[in-house]
Amino acid sequence: MLTKQELEHATKVLGREPTETELNMLDVLWSEHCSYKSSQRWFHLFKTEGERVFLGPGEGAGLVDIGDDVLVGVAMESHNHPSQIDPYNGAATGVGGIIRDVISQGCRPVGLMNCLRFGPLSKPHNAYLLENSVHGISQYGNSVGIPMIGGEVQFDSSYDDNCLINVVCIGTLTPDKIVRSTAKTPGHLLIMFGSTTGRDGIAGVSFASESFSDEEDENRGAVQIGDPLAKKVVLDVLEELIEKELLAGLQDLGGGGLTSAAGEMASKGGTGVLIEVDNVPLREKGMIAQEIIISESQERMLAIVDPANKEAVFEILEKHDTPYGAIGKVTDDAFYTVMENGEIRARLPINLLVEGFPVPERIEEQLQMGSGSHAWLQEPEDHAEFLLRMLESLNICDRSWVYSQYDQHVQANTIVDIGENSGVIEFPKGKMLAFSSDCNSYWCLLDPRSGAANSAAESLRNLVAMGARPIFIADCLNFGNPERPESYSQFVEAVRGLGQFSHDFDIPVVGGNVSLYNEAVVEGEHKRINPTPQIMIGGIFEQGIAPVRRNLTTPLANIFLVGTTHRELNGSEFQRLTIDKVKGIPPIYQPQVEAKVMGAMLEAHKRRIMRSCNNIGRGGLAIALMKMIMNSEVGFTINADEIPGTSKTLTENLYSETSARYLAEVTESNQPEFHELMEENNIPITELGLVVTDKVANFGSFSISIGKAREVYRKGIAKFME
Amino acid sequence: MAIAVIRFPGTNNEKDVMRVLASIPGGDPYLVPNYDGPGPLARADGVFIPGGFSYGDYLRAGAVASVEAIIDGVVEIAKAGKPVIGICNGFQILAEAGLLPGVLLPNKSARFVCKWINLRTCETKSIYTEGLDSAILRIPIAHAEGNYYCSEEDLHMLKGEGRVSFRYCNSEGEPTQEVNPNGSLDNIAGIVNERGNVLGMMPHPERASRAILGSTDGLAILENFVRATKAP
Repeated sequence: MLTKQELEHATKVLGREPTETELNMLDVLWSEHCSYKSSQRWFHLFKTEGERVFLGPGEGAGLVDIGDDVLVGVAMESHNHPSQIDPYNGAATGVGGIIRDVISQGCRPVGLMNCLRFGPLSKPHNAYLLENSVHGISQYGNSVGIPMIGGEVQFDSSYDDNCLINVVCIGTLTPDKIVRSTAKTPGHLLIMFGSTTGRDGIAGVSFASESFSDEEDENRGAVQIGDPLAKKVVLDVLEELIEKELLAGLQDLGGGGLTSAAGEMASKGGTGVLIEVDNVPLREKGMIAQEIIISESQERMLAIVDPANKEAVFEILEKHDTPYGAIGKVTDDAFYTVMENGEIRARLPINLLVEGFPVPERIEEQLQMGSGSHAWLQEPEDHAEFLLRMLESLNICDRSWVYSQYDQHVQANTIVDIGENSGVIEFPKGKMLAFSSDCNSYWCLLDPRSGAANSAAESLRNLVAMGARPIFIADCLNFGNPERPESYSQFVEAVRGLGQFSHDFDIPVVGGNVSLYNEAVVEGEHKRINPTPQIMIGGIFEQGIAPVRRNLTTPLANIFLVGTTHRELNGSEFQRLTIDKVKGIPPIYQPQVEAKVMGAMLEAHKRRIMRSCNNIGRGGLAIALMKMIMNSEVGFTINADEIPGTSKTLTENLYSETSARYLAEVTESNQPEFHELMEENNIPITELGLVVTDKVANFGSFSISIGKAREVYRKGIAKFME
Repeated sequence: MAIAVIRFPGTNNEKDVMRVLASIPGGDPYLVPNYDGPGPLARADGVFIPGGFSYGDYLRAGAVASVEAIIDGVVEIAKAGKPVIGICNGFQILAEAGLLPGVLLPNKSARFVCKWINLRTCETKSIYTEGLDSAILRIPIAHAEGNYYCSEEDLHMLKGEGRVSFRYCNSEGEPTQEVNPNGSLDNIAGIVNERGNVLGMMPHPERASRAILGSTDGLAILENFVRATKAP
């Protein structure tokens, strides 16, 4: 709902009371979800320019130039609130929405990712949310024919009442086929097509811009319903429209429906629009202007068409039997006018409707920080038993229960499947890109600024471990209620952290989304999600570099730890698992060291001197090593009793989550070169041990059979879902 | 030779398939959208029905597509002895249309399943498995309804006539229940019709057709198909 201040502002600018229809339009476009009214003021902290940036944030998808006339489009978005109410439809339409963003730029979609957060699966409701949201994503993405190439699933009780569904779509196109979402030329027609308009998703963005109350089921009508078949037909139609160059502009209808789509195109083009709602194809009788204009029914696109091309466009739409209507035209009056039965229902200045809201005051406060103390730390009584417990724990264990439900191979361009450090797909002209998404919300809870930067660094390492050079970022920033200072401060600090990272590593942010109000009032108490700035980074394989996987391959090859390990177990998976909470100062963000190690690792990839390579992240060295044998035919025997850095005990060495570290498998013949390279770069490396043919993970003072490790690893999620 | 690749609304593997077919010497694929009807099939030397979700899999996978007019044209091609192949949803359509016996039920897990599987070439009677005697092929699957089922009589007939082309197997080539990904009867992954010119299979050979994708095992099947389109 509009605030009192907003209503007064609108009335003053209009010089009259807004009409019912106008109130609805302002309500959706001035919602946090559409307007970014609490967040946009901080976006200048992101690096958004760079030589590869073809189109930065602001339209449907950011576009990145990867050379030889190949552009990559990327968009990232949340669909959190609808999924908490109706996980199947909420998650499915999240995928549908992000695909629309990418195709509205003229891209052919080539990959999807999704980042999911739920409360622990021991609660049946969380298992229900996981089961149904994965089913929704699977049903939709698989049907449309776009491979799933990566993502994340994490669990924490802070998501009990606010699950997170973040989705990414990646596309590609050539520069001559770009379609812009602007309405520049008065007299051009507005043609809506793809699906009919109904009452589903009415004011979905407004409901996504408030905290949940105990009566969340009341909002079921605000959730949209997806139709992947209609979406596939839209893709076929668009391919023809774009190929024949019949579009002067294109925008998808997502949050805010027709109000947002037409309003933003007019705003960008410096024009106005006239909409005749009588010409909108409806699926329900008796809908009135104020419903039609804000409906968020799925699978709809809005095209700007030169009247000279009208017949050609209609012919293609007819052939594919897709619903369409010529619903209005571009005007030169800079107003958004809505007509119904020949009468004006709304007439709002575009510059009032789009970003004309009074900027609300938001208050930042000093966040409480923990200490560096590790007094809580106790050695596990039985190291083998503890490591097995960690392998089975929800945030470490095998995710194949989730991703085996996604088609990963459609389009026949998937080079590395999900389950590796990052997913890799082939683009036109033989180019290969890797994609990784990460967020450690424990680190972000303890220190949103360094946590966000370090989450990005982890994503970067996931690419570098495979041999890809990071080139662009997309993000989805999930936080609590910005009207509450602590929640707002978490958001601002995380933006500072990610902004810092983007400048430190010279990697531009090309797209993103903010989801606030991920808070619930449960029995009178505020429950807020852990700060979750989900960061996705894309990386490119330079000529001659092939993806290196993390599975150990070669018996008798040596395993090296690259980098320095500090005593950093605050905020770690070890801490959470042993004392059931996180506290203290999380691992520090160390951009200079990280950049130096990245450079050396990419050089090692270029020289092809590593057989396998893994990033050290969540769960530290122990988990990184175990993941190198979960799908391989070999084992290892290592000694991690003494390694460089301030980390001293075996527990610290195994479970510290210090950044800027990797594991590398190097055969004897390549070791002189590997040593030399690391020495030149002043990077400490430690020979931990050997790859062995025995199916065992031998840590010297204890060992685990691989069979047992795999058994617990594979049942971590699955045991709750069967 | 001219290969008609049929696209229904919701078909989504047509581009992948056409790219591989075009890369095989002698393969000349052309797209036939369902709305063009059976007419364009007149010049086809073979027909390919790719995977996807024709008509959104509404009703039953393949059921709506199987009663479209274009299927009459496919039946004619099959009757003429020319090769017809249906992959995944294409297999479901061929079964629904009665060109192949049996049905594809929802997976036993009731969930969509995408993974790499091993496939054992069973009998060598068909044009599609030439040169693949008892081979073990590594090819991905991706489906929600791939659980092959038929009557006992039909199963007896399929086995007796050597018409089971592929079975899911372990890495040793044994068709065990542990590696049966969807509950298919007798681990059946692909079958041919009586004449041997119509093949339906759930795994996706086009997704195992380039080394960079991790396997080229599917290419042999598609090469056999293209070769068959040239036969008189």
